[in-house]
Amino acid sequence: MATTSVSKKRMVRINGCVASAQAAKYADVDVIAAYPIRPYTATMMALAQMVANGELDAEYIVADSEHSQLSIAHGAASAGARVFTGSSGVGVQFAYELYSPISGSRMPVQMMIADRTLDPPGDFGSEHTDALSTRDMGWIMGWSCDAQEAFDNHLIAYRIGEDPRVLLPQMVCQDGFFVSHITGDVELPDAGQVKEFLPPYKHPYPLDPRHPVSHGPQIMPEQGPPLQLERARAMEESMAVIEQAHEEFEKIFGRKYDPWLEEFMTDDAEVVFFLQGAHAVTARFAIKHMRDKGLKVGMVRLRTIRPYPTDRVNEVLSKFKVVGVIETNMGLGSVSSGGSLYAEVCAALYESQKRPLILSFMAGMGGEAIVLKEFYWMTQKMVDAQKRGKIEKRTHWVGFEE
Amino acid sequence: MLPGIRAPTHPPGDERGLIMSYTELTVWTRGIIMDKEGRDIVNSISASARIEGKYAQAMENYVDNPDRTNAPTRKYCRVSDNILENELTYENEQPNIVVLVEGTMVKGWDYMRGMPPGGTLVINTHYTPDYMIRFVPGAERLAQLVCVDAAKIADHKWLYYRLGELGLDRLSTEGAAERNKSIAPDIAAPLIAAVVKTTGIVKMATIEPMIANKHAFEVALKELHIMPLNPVAV
Repeated sequence: MATTSVSKKRMVRINGCVASAQAAKYADVDVIAAYPIRPYTATMMALAQMVANGELDAEYIVADSEHSQLSIAHGAASAGARVFTGSSGVGVQFAYELYSPISGSRMPVQMMIADRTLDPPGDFGSEHTDALSTRDMGWIMGWSCDAQEAFDNHLIAYRIGEDPRVLLPQMVCQDGFFVSHITGDVELPDAGQVKEFLPPYKHPYPLDPRHPVSHGPQIMPEQGPPLQLERARAMEESMAVIEQAHEEFEKIFGRKYDPWLEEFMTDDAEVVFFLQGAHAVTARFAIKHMRDKGLKVGMVRLRTIRPYPTDRVNEVLSKFKVVGVIETNMGLGSVSSGGSLYAEVCAALYESQKRPLILSFMAGMGGEAIVLKEFYWMTQKMVDAQKRGKIEKRTHWVGFEE
Repeated sequence: MLPGIRAPTHPPGDERGLIMSYTELTVWTRGIIMDKEGRDIVNSISASARIEGKYAQAMENYVDNPDRTNAPTRKYCRVSDNILENELTYENEQPNIVVLVEGTMVKGWDYMRGMPPGGTLVINTHYTPDYMIRFVPGAERLAQLVCVDAAKIADHKWLYYRLGELGLDRLSTEGAAERNKSIAPDIAAPLIAAVVKTTGIVKMATIEPMIANKHAFEVALKELHIMPLNPVAV
């Protein structure tokens, strides 16, 4: 098992990329599979430096592509290693073939994603489409909104994924630039706290010549259904483990996160934004200013999208009159002809006795920052819908309409 | 700070819907070879502002990275008495203070774009402001033009002498946090002195302890060439 030099609890000012690298160091990972692509690259640069400086004892393997990167991660995890890897944008896509095999063989590989748009536009900005397009592959998946939360989510995700009741890989996502390249105050914990929260990893059936086992063998069709059912159950049953992990995290580190939904100023809210990721930071400022003007607006931020907290979303969003989903992803030709978050919000609310009106906002596309006045504009659309008692249309492209 | 010059700020209520007021500092530098100089300026001023209880952030232009040798790259700093509500915006759209880390950058692109009246331009050059002002686009927006011969004052050693340092510092080219002990060992020191003395963006006493090249910092304070232009009423 690797040995790590980690100091006492302290505050540092680091960006999301470095926070993720620090988390991997504190998690004392055994194998790191790296291949560069912006913006997540800085995480691997930081880890390379840690390994070179002797701060972290891990195998740092440079792959020749993302496909190889995830293959290395798969193999290393099969041998019983705690594995860390990551990517961005089209890099996430190039490794697509490996996502199902890794969750299928129940390997709790962890992958850090700093979102980047796919091509087009292929710029360095953040759209969630890269990771979201893999959302049904059996990986635990969620977004953080700042550097501290990114650090915390890595530790929490390892704890969930490595739980013997779960054994699933995890994608720990953060917005490119908005989290990955924005510095924030991050509390690095005491090594003892991490040791208590995240015990050394032990896979129950690693590849071992002394105790032969098969991983991912060719099977007959009739062996498929039980295999798939087991993976689906693992995902379902992870929900209780996710809640436990967050409770335990709060006990040890003192930071409390709702595992599923962050609610901001929702107590008497009539219209709310529903979003995930870093745009929540600006949304909070916008909501405070609109509250000063008497508008009853709030925000619900989705923290974990896989497994999807259907019942919680139903329960929470049923309290409001209008829900405005901020997509930050492309769902071309989807239910709303907008993004892919809308359809799941609608599905979760279908069984509600008090369904709110639901709008989809295409904002922050290409990784543009969503500025305060755009939040004001979106709020006005929601307020108008509330007055009218029906929506004008499902999807609004923010910045393209009056 | 000179009489009649204040640390300029953006008034609240501008077109982006911002309600706070704040100061923008943009540093133009040359990729790779002078990258660290630019980063040191924004990092040290941002860190000093936070020590003084203000809200501040420093970052690099996201699209400039990964930078190319000699290509123009930008570093940003934002300072405010209030929490920065535009923390997630990519660029400084209305810089109050602009620094050119290398003198020939005065020609070729519009580093003055967006500057509101009452701004400050600081240039690393051995020329005087009288000579340099002819190259500055939109100079009527300046409250002052400041020239400092930073390369001479810091006894600047070019790339070949600095490979070791650049190698160690490679991490921060993607925006990683800076290590305090290595802030401004070189031409950033006189430039920081010029910015702080002529704009008062942070206190001299706050920033001085974190500067590695103290000699260059102190000499620069006495060797600034300042041309007062169109001050904005305080």
